[in-house]
Amino acid sequence: MDFALNEDQEMFRSYLRKYLDKVGQTKVAREFIKGNTNEFTVVMNGLAELGATAINIPEENEGLGLGAVDLVPVFEEMGRVVLPGIYLETMAFAVPLLEKYGTEEQKAKYLPDIAAGNKQLSLAWLEPVKDYSLDQIECAVKEEGETLVINGVKELVPDADFADAFIVVVRNSNDGLSLILVDRDDELSIRPQKCMDESRHLGEITFDEWAVPKSQLLGSWNQGVNLLEEGILYLNAGLSSLLVGGMEKVVGMATEYANIREQFGQPIGRFQAIKHTIVDMKMDLEMARSLSYYASWTLEEMDAEKQKAAVYSARAFATEAFIRLASENIQIHGGIGFTEEIDCHLFLKRARFYEHYLGSVRDYNELLASALGWNKNETSKNMKAEKVVHGQ
Amino acid sequence: MDFSISKQEEAFRQELRTWLEENLPEGWLQGNRELPEDKADYAVFLRKWQNTLYEGGWGAISWPKEYGGREATLMEEIIFYQEMVRVQAPPLINYIGIHMVGPTLIQSGTDEQKEKFINKIITGEEVWCQGYSEPNAGSDLAAIQTSAEKKGDQWLINGQKVWTSFGHLADKCFLLARTSTHPEKKHRGITAFLLDMNQSGVETKPITQMDGQQEFNEVYLTDAVAYDADIVGELDKGWRVMIALMLHERTGIGAELFTLEKRFDDMVAAIKDYQINGRPVMDDPSVRQKLASFYARFRGSLLNYYRNLTSTLKNGHPGPESSIDKLAVSELTKEMAGFMMSLQGHRGMLWKEDAPIDPVWQDEYLFSFGQTIGGGTSEVQRNTIGERVLGLPKDMGR
Repeated sequence: MDFALNEDQEMFRSYLRKYLDKVGQTKVAREFIKGNTNEFTVVMNGLAELGATAINIPEENEGLGLGAVDLVPVFEEMGRVVLPGIYLETMAFAVPLLEKYGTEEQKAKYLPDIAAGNKQLSLAWLEPVKDYSLDQIECAVKEEGETLVINGVKELVPDADFADAFIVVVRNSNDGLSLILVDRDDELSIRPQKCMDESRHLGEITFDEWAVPKSQLLGSWNQGVNLLEEGILYLNAGLSSLLVGGMEKVVGMATEYANIREQFGQPIGRFQAIKHTIVDMKMDLEMARSLSYYASWTLEEMDAEKQKAAVYSARAFATEAFIRLASENIQIHGGIGFTEEIDCHLFLKRARFYEHYLGSVRDYNELLASALGWNKNETSKNMKAEKVVHGQ
Repeated sequence: MDFSISKQEEAFRQELRTWLEENLPEGWLQGNRELPEDKADYAVFLRKWQNTLYEGGWGAISWPKEYGGREATLMEEIIFYQEMVRVQAPPLINYIGIHMVGPTLIQSGTDEQKEKFINKIITGEEVWCQGYSEPNAGSDLAAIQTSAEKKGDQWLINGQKVWTSFGHLADKCFLLARTSTHPEKKHRGITAFLLDMNQSGVETKPITQMDGQQEFNEVYLTDAVAYDADIVGELDKGWRVMIALMLHERTGIGAELFTLEKRFDDMVAAIKDYQINGRPVMDDPSVRQKLASFYARFRGSLLNYYRNLTSTLKNGHPGPESSIDKLAVSELTKEMAGFMMSLQGHRGMLWKEDAPIDPVWQDEYLFSFGQTIGGGTSEVQRNTIGERVLGLPKDMGR
């Protein structure tokens, strides 16, 4: 029994924390909100120098050849400072898929650049007024000679304005789903969408007879469903760790404040109403942390069904818990917690950002139920309609 | 991270499994797990089980070999619990003796005490209980009023204890009594005695719990007698002994977490089979949602226990984090049992042999209220976590 991050992973965490402390923690996000993305770029370069962008990229593609668990400290530390950007989408979605399904040409084109911190990929899945159900994908691709032509609209694309490439979910003429790598291009029509979490940018991309070379197909035709299913396992394991990082910071903030803030001649942390609330926050944090560690661990150690049970439960629990913790943190801080002056609101908004990202808690609970075989004999139509992601 | 177990540990598990198959009471593995209803028979049955464990070398596996143990590692102890939960083995009547009193005496008892008590604990010849709580000293244990006064060579003990598990079946009691008063530091002046329950000064009265069981007792002490030789550690320093005694519980709440895991699996199995108005309840999305959220929480609790266990293995002793495990398992058990009650709708009120699914859920529901109180209430656990894990200020009044 050894259920903990190892010494190397903890040491790497301490480097990251030191660095992110040095650059002012949430200062990067706050500048980003003001429209100054400079500091963010500098910090991402700094993190790349520390090796954060090379972790799970194979050595032959100039990475460090490490695994999903090695990403855990990075996600947690980024979550602690509500760092903007699409590190998650890049490292925990694009990289595992490129590594496993990418052509040699695609790997050479993307992976070394990602490792060096020069490229980041986003994910274009959702379409206007649709949910994540795969049967709702309408964005179409057709083959014309040596090119693929895409038509359709994608929305809520994370950081569409500065992603270097997108993995786009499309439907092809055989009515199957496929994934296409679309490089950023100034001609591409991107409309920014306002986001309550202003430390994240969202965009709506309109593909109008948009042509990319055939070599940009990721995996084979009609393989999209499998790839997405596999990709979101990695992504949600990583996301769980990001959420844990945010939760840890929030528990730390509440604890610190309860120790220094005095009312009625006592630090408020002495009152059980406050103390017990913070303890319940801590309980949720530790549960989420254990679930998320385990989720990342299963990605390389267990079979698909175990992975699904581990990842979906971590994701569902952590999403709900982060919202709860971020909310309690505001309440414990009292009036000052309601202001923009201190960080409480940043965490709440980030928690809500992820609430429905790539599916809701409800969706993931249903997926978990399927993974655990709780509805094997299920035949009612009602249920099928609720199946998301697998719904194809 | 590594969840695998070593070859030796696997061999240990196999050895235990084989032994259990051969030595569990007749019919037990086939599902006949009825314990005798008659109290005297019940006690005889469980003492016999303790003795069977002892004779097989499983009586107190973490004890040193010279006292009949097998010096089991922490992992072996965990495996032991997992296997006991797997076969739903009979309860350990001498839990206090095996896990607390025995190890304490082995570590700090006098030669005479070791000679007199230890072998009888492991064989099940003498069953132990603990005399801590009193009507006015539950969570505030240092407020005990039971007194011990020296008269000649005897200590005369007077007062009342309560919530004494298995007190009516016990031969001996690990008892805390006040031997002097220290108004400022009330936990000083408490002494730990090894008290003989089979004497005229000790009267036990079973308390009927809300689940109909009688495991707890009130214990009335009227000039109950103990001697200097029955004092553990030093006079007036029983508090320290009691704390040390609690630390002997190396694996903490582990067995309860494995039980929770089994309960969860049983719950899913029961729900899969259960229909209301001819429709499987599993078809109800709200049921699946609830189950999924229970799954995340029990897995989270179990994994969290493994993470705490990992640090126990590294540090050699459990930390205050064990309160996290206690709080999680007891609260979750209560919620899961409550859910099983709700699920059965109006028929959920049917009890015992009339229960619609299995009376175990109704029993579990009622029993679960004791779990968030006994062994330190959820509120006390939250104080411990708040103060000792998070570093929040001490509660008012302390």
